Amino acid sequence: MRETNLELILLAILTYTLNAVQCGEVPRPRGVSLAKAALYQPQADGKWSCLDGSKTIPFTQVNDDYCDCADGSDEPGTSACPLAQFHCTNKGHQPVEIPSSLVQDGICDCCDGSDELPAVGCANTCIELGAAAAIKRRNEAELHKRGAEKRQEMISRGKQMKADRAARRSELNARIKEQESLKVEKEQLKQNAEALETEAVEAFKEQQRELDAETAQAEQEPQQMRVEASLSFVRYDTNKDGFVEVTELMVDMNLDRDRNGVVTVEEARYFLDERDRMDLDAFVTLAWPRIKPLKMLADGLFQPPKAPAEEEELPQAADVEGAELHNPEPSEEQADMETGAAGEEEDDGEDDEDQYDDEEPDVGVGEATPEVETTTAAPAYDPETQRLIEQANEARNAYEEVARQIREIEHEVKEIDEQEGKDYGPHEEWAVMDGECYTYEDREYVYTLCPFDRVSQKPRNGGAETTLGRWDQWIGEGASKYSRQKYTQGAACWNGPQRSAIINIKCAMEPRITAVSEPNRCEYYYEFETPAACDSDAYTASAQSMHDEL
Amino acid sequence: MRLTLFVCLIIGALINYAAGVDPTNFKTCEQSSFCRRSRKVQSSGSKYALIRGTLNTYTDSVTADLINKENHHQFTMKLEALVGSTFRLQIDEKQPLRPRYRVEHALKGKPETAQIRVLESDELTITSGSAKAVIQGDPFRIDFYENDVHVVSVNAKNWLYFEHLRQKAQAPAGEAADGGDGAQQEQQEQNSDAVQSPSEPIDEPGTWEENFKSHHDTKPYGPQAVALDFSFPAAEMLFGIPEHADSFALKSTSGTDPYRLYNLDVFEYIVDSKMALYGSVPVLYGHGPQRTAGVYWQNAAETWVDIYTTETNVVSSLVNFVSGSRKSTPPAAHFISESGIVDAFIMLGPKPIDVFKQYAALTGTHELPQLFSLGYHQSRWNYNDERDVTSVSAKFDEYNMPMDTMWLDIEYTDGKRYFTWDKFKFPEPLTMIKNLTELGRHLVVIIDPHIKRDNAYFFHQDCTENGYYVKTREGNDYEGWCWPGSASYPDFFNPVVRDYYASQYHLSKFKTVTEDVMIWNDMNEPSVFNGPEITAPKDLVHYGNWEHRDVHNLYGHMHLMGTFAGLQQRDPNQRPFILSRAHFAGSQRYSAIWTGDNMADWTHLQHSTKMCLTEAVAGFSFCGADVGGFFGNPDAELLERWYQTGAFLPFFRAHAHIDTKRREPWLFPERTRQIIKSALLKRYSYLPLWYTSFYELEQTGEPVIRPLLTHYPLDKEAFAIDNQLLVQQRLLVRPVMQQGVSKVDVYFPAIDDKKNGDYWYDVDTYQRQERAGYESIPVDENKIPVWQRGGSIVPRKERQRRSSKLMLNDPYTLVICLDRQGKAAGTLFLDDEKSYAYRDGKHIYVSYEFADNQLTNRFIGKPQYKSEAWIERIIIAGLGHVPTPATITVNGISQQLEVEQRNGAIVVRKPAVKMDVDFALKLNN
Repeated sequence: MRETNLELILLAILTYTLNAVQCGEVPRPRGVSLAKAALYQPQADGKWSCLDGSKTIPFTQVNDDYCDCADGSDEPGTSACPLAQFHCTNKGHQPVEIPSSLVQDGICDCCDGSDELPAVGCANTCIELGAAAAIKRRNEAELHKRGAEKRQEMISRGKQMKADRAARRSELNARIKEQESLKVEKEQLKQNAEALETEAVEAFKEQQRELDAETAQAEQEPQQMRVEASLSFVRYDTNKDGFVEVTELMVDMNLDRDRNGVVTVEEARYFLDERDRMDLDAFVTLAWPRIKPLKMLADGLFQPPKAPAEEEELPQAADVEGAELHNPEPSEEQADMETGAAGEEEDDGEDDEDQYDDEEPDVGVGEATPEVETTTAAPAYDPETQRLIEQANEARNAYEEVARQIREIEHEVKEIDEQEGKDYGPHEEWAVMDGECYTYEDREYVYTLCPFDRVSQKPRNGGAETTLGRWDQWIGEGASKYSRQKYTQGAACWNGPQRSAIINIKCAMEPRITAVSEPNRCEYYYEFETPAACDSDAYTASAQSMHDEL
Repeated sequence: MRLTLFVCLIIGALINYAAGVDPTNFKTCEQSSFCRRSRKVQSSGSKYALIRGTLNTYTDSVTADLINKENHHQFTMKLEALVGSTFRLQIDEKQPLRPRYRVEHALKGKPETAQIRVLESDELTITSGSAKAVIQGDPFRIDFYENDVHVVSVNAKNWLYFEHLRQKAQAPAGEAADGGDGAQQEQQEQNSDAVQSPSEPIDEPGTWEENFKSHHDTKPYGPQAVALDFSFPAAEMLFGIPEHADSFALKSTSGTDPYRLYNLDVFEYIVDSKMALYGSVPVLYGHGPQRTAGVYWQNAAETWVDIYTTETNVVSSLVNFVSGSRKSTPPAAHFISESGIVDAFIMLGPKPIDVFKQYAALTGTHELPQLFSLGYHQSRWNYNDERDVTSVSAKFDEYNMPMDTMWLDIEYTDGKRYFTWDKFKFPEPLTMIKNLTELGRHLVVIIDPHIKRDNAYFFHQDCTENGYYVKTREGNDYEGWCWPGSASYPDFFNPVVRDYYASQYHLSKFKTVTEDVMIWNDMNEPSVFNGPEITAPKDLVHYGNWEHRDVHNLYGHMHLMGTFAGLQQRDPNQRPFILSRAHFAGSQRYSAIWTGDNMADWTHLQHSTKMCLTEAVAGFSFCGADVGGFFGNPDAELLERWYQTGAFLPFFRAHAHIDTKRREPWLFPERTRQIIKSALLKRYSYLPLWYTSFYELEQTGEPVIRPLLTHYPLDKEAFAIDNQLLVQQRLLVRPVMQQGVSKVDVYFPAIDDKKNGDYWYDVDTYQRQERAGYESIPVDENKIPVWQRGGSIVPRKERQRRSSKLMLNDPYTLVICLDRQGKAAGTLFLDDEKSYAYRDGKHIYVSYEFADNQLTNRFIGKPQYKSEAWIERIIIAGLGHVPTPATITVNGISQQLEVEQRNGAIVVRKPAVKMDVDFALKLNN
């Protein structure tokens, strides 16, 4: 009587949580899984030991809403012990263990509602959830199966590419050897030809000098003379007033005839026919004949002609693989300029240029300078000397051609080695994506992902593209290494770090970016889907192991 | 083009990496002409005297006229006695050219006056209870006594300085022609037939107009400063006048600028500085072993406070304290304000807690906050979108860490238009809010006072059409620059504007939130990016034709009044939660505060306790600092220690700048995660104590967190300690706030001058400290050094939940720590944790007392709240023996309870008594 009274007064709360709760067929304390039911049996004396053996308590104190055991094992069905776990049976769906902090807090966490008192009125949603989960699993398995077929194609293509690379690599190795020995040979030929050329040219120059002494001026072609003179006029006329003045000549130390370190007014006036200034015509006829000898003396007379060689190279270059990277470039740009392209297209051009500025030396697109013309003004040699010069030119060209071939092969080798250095996955399934690019648009930006190369961002309303990162490595954890990529070394942030991006990858039938976010300033996250991630076997295995656990 | 950009980047980087605030953005006293002028009086002194025969005596006050003997300008003085050993002294011009501003809305109501007795002889003695004021006529001076101990003097230094309003001296003809200031001339004309008042010109630049950097202050009313000195003859040190990033004990300002009170948005503020910050609370205390007294200088204009202590630093003061000799002049403070009147409340103590209560009686306290607001707040500028908010909340569950509130900074709005949402990032805010509130969590969103000048924005339309904005001198809407770009500022001084503002919070207007969404008022100094000192120009015009100069420090306060009314009207059953950055005396009635945009370094962590201690004694118990530091990236150790510190400050929120790396606990290694989790759990376990403390704050005015001197007023060594704090009189907290330490020196204060101390029990081990003085305490990375005072009982809840709301029905643990006599006592308050029903008595307020091996409870008021909670265990530390068993008796019926020893304490197993039931628990030998 006395006891009952006390309980009424003190323990109104505890009625439901006492340990005699039935869970399905096997009687066991609330919150205990079937697998652990055997651990919750009273000893003969009605006592029970904590699972960590730390303490023995009356079995009636199991689930009495007071924490007795250090490991929390005496309160699997209440919130009394911080370390305890509550087992939701969730019949019809997956059983789960939830921390004791979720037990009896008024929120339904188990789909069978077993974590809350009946008063809370949790609905049992396990059947529906279980059915939905089963459908989802089926769909996912199906997706992985179908995706795996695509992946298989990617694997074969990737492997083929790897084989091609290896073949090409050994071919290039052989060629580079060939070319190296050819180069030695050509170099020898070149040296021989140049020796002969030098000899002949020296002889010719000697002869020429004698000739010059007599008929220098007279024999010059007036036309050529005028061209040279005009160019000099322009150079001298630094204030561009159409006259060459005394002061403008005084800066040319070649005109320091008495070699006293200063071009005096008198010296300068001598070249200007004792005038203060001269227009072009007067300069050509009066001044240039006086200046030219000093110029020639200063410059030396001979420069080997090389312009034609360069012109020859270009058409050949087109045959060589790898050079096409640069070729479309100038033509596109020219096209833009010709058609007066819209602002956006111009932006594209600029961005592309940016891109190459970063990595490639300037390839000298469409450079045309007035100098080209002056080099054609080579002296007319006697036929024999001319022949030797041409032979030497041919030898030089042949040598250059070999050297260039070697450079090109080396470039290609480097590219292949770089690709070989990239991790295209255990079965080369990612290889086919190198070279592809994918884009995603949100409200403000267009995001690009070029796998194994770079990620970038470009404002939709125009403006420059920003590199968010360059290919770094796979960073998935453990078995799922190939579910996550990292791109680093992007453009530096204002007052912050260099941008970087992480790509989370999931299986899907078609490759695409599904979302991009920037949770930290300058750290981007791409959600990316591709059949390359559809590993059916791995999926089945993980689904299986999950099922086994349950 | 690209090069230019590059150069800009470099320059930008240089500017940005320069550490901390640029002090030249803010004025020095020398650059502020009224401060410069007023400070001069410190060398010359002033001559004010009572005019004989003008004394009037009333039941609770006396009035008399004062004269400046140098310029013969006349003033009226009123000294009023208030209930609770407090006097109010007001001095205004007798006949000012125009009214001078008197602060409104800071006091919680009209202070209750007390009867006086007046004795007139050579001097005038006014007595009210144990408080006494003695007025001397010439020179004018008032000495205040508490029980005949002289505790405060007014104008003992003759530094009273009162610039009467005057007409601008006629400029020479030529100058006046192109001076051409219409308003000013008009003013002069209006006053041409005013009382003949002696108006000697103040011959100084900055008197009638003033420039600072590129900003021009027109100063149409000329010089109008007020200044007065207060001496504290019974004090050894001064403290108060937040907000400054400085030590708790005020430092001498001799040779430095005065402490400045001017609400400012300071970017990357520096510590150990007297520079002004976001809040201004002009209350100052003088403390000595025998007496504590205070002065509340009620003035909302820019104010500078010079501090005179005989010593310049704490060390030398300690030396002096020990030697016990002090013949020199007592510590004093010189308050200098730009405009307004002298309106000073002199609070006479006698003990620290008395003065704090006297101040609370004037300006009020925070009301009992909803329990959730005492839990942990997770904030960041910014959680980017709905998915972000939902997933951060989910992560706390995944890692089984409690969290009560998610915060949204400015980016949630549609282009910084407050009361709107960014519809792309937050398409369904109500769903997102429901996801939080279903787990017992809350959302706080920011609402700043600046209003985007966008003609399509309803708020701007309303304010423009109705003339609700603060005006320029010319009468146009003032336009400043803030987050939205061009912005204007509602004039919250206008009650109509406040009503309008309050109505915007109504759920019928602000439809995209629920009544569970609370509010963060930031930038309310107000912050104006392109304004002088990053705030509003002083010559703006407010409601009532007052200049911004007069009311600046109250702007944030008025903003808060509007918000508070809005939230109360929105849901009269919920206590509003508001966080504010700007604050003034009395703002504590409406909001919690935090220490603003601090930095992720150890010195800022250390200043979090210093600053909150000062705020707490100035009314703002509900104070915290951004955990982790707002600017910069804390390393793991700093973040760990910051969580541990924040867990023992009343307002506990992690927050970070948009440019910082994410720092949610799970982004750190396991070790850090565990340390943070255990700090969070510790916080939650003490929620019943925090909650009870806030109830008692509201009831009594006693701060929730307190400096040691509050309860150890005799211990001079404890006066200046500001890296330790007391939670009520129950806990002593000494957070680890240094890098890489394995031990900390903890000071256990003495209760007398013989070095006797209380017992202190380590809350983790119940190991007892028995003697006063410094102890070196070993700390590992998990240790938060906290002790419970012997003699106290602390209620706790030791069950973990996702959020505090879900703990409502969870059982309590009572922790009883015994004093030398084997006694202890402590209170517990509980109610529905949310509504105002507690004011109708729907609560349980119980005092537990332990003596003679017996614990009893006694209800204070009838317990009228129906609680499901119960007592699950009682821990008793300090017993000499382990009793077996214990007996609990309820309604004459007894039951035996198991007792077990754990660490240095015993645990009584499961009394299982409900909270509203009388019981007695007897320990048997």
